[in-house]
Amino acid sequence: MKTNNLLPNKHKLTGWIIFSIGLISILILSLFPEFEGFIKVPVVSIYHDGFMSSENDGFFKLVENDITGELAALFLIIGGLIVGFTKEKVEDEFIAKLRSDSLVWSVILNYCILIIAIMFVFDFTFMNILFYNMFTPLLFYIFRFNYLKLKSANHEE
Amino acid sequence: MKNRIKVARAEYDMTQADLAEKIGVSRQSINAIEKGKYVPSTVLALKIAKLFGRKVEDVFMLDSLED
Repeated sequence: MKTNNLLPNKHKLTGWIIFSIGLISILILSLFPEFEGFIKVPVVSIYHDGFMSSENDGFFKLVENDITGELAALFLIIGGLIVGFTKEKVEDEFIAKLRSDSLVWSVILNYCILIIAIMFVFDFTFMNILFYNMFTPLLFYIFRFNYLKLKSANHEE
Repeated sequence: MKNRIKVARAEYDMTQADLAEKIGVSRQSINAIEKGKYVPSTVLALKIAKLFGRKVEDVFMLDSLED
């Protein structure tokens, strides 16, 4: 079956490596926030609205920022996209169905969790949930797809 | 939908992996089709039947609820 918008299978391993680095760094930063603050560099901000001061406010400003979290998030998202959207060794119609089923499943699960969070979680805890919500659709999709794939490979004959 | 792929495979002494390789799909697909968890596309059904030298209706058939 022709599926045009997937990367070639050879990128799978690269994807898993980047994804793992991202996932581990996000976990470490969540559990031990003291690891944040080591890579302070000037970055271009498309729009800046300072929390404490307003001297640097405005469009396209050069601001000092710790990019630990940004790097971890980029690794996780880019790695996740590569893992989730590279072809399997044999990418056939059944695998394509597993892929789309997993995507539907992950979007629904993600928004169910968000609905519950909107109703019952507030303030900073809710902000935390929003932070994780940046990654969860991709994570749920990857785990669901690989789980379904493993499950359908088992119990031969 | 029911199918007789497992029986046909046994006649030809083929494993799921052999069949999958011959028609260019993953082994997961053959496994899911045999178990009735996945209904293959017409193209795939035709390919499987052709490989076993039979008509599609001899390999795949509706079950009583779908008639």
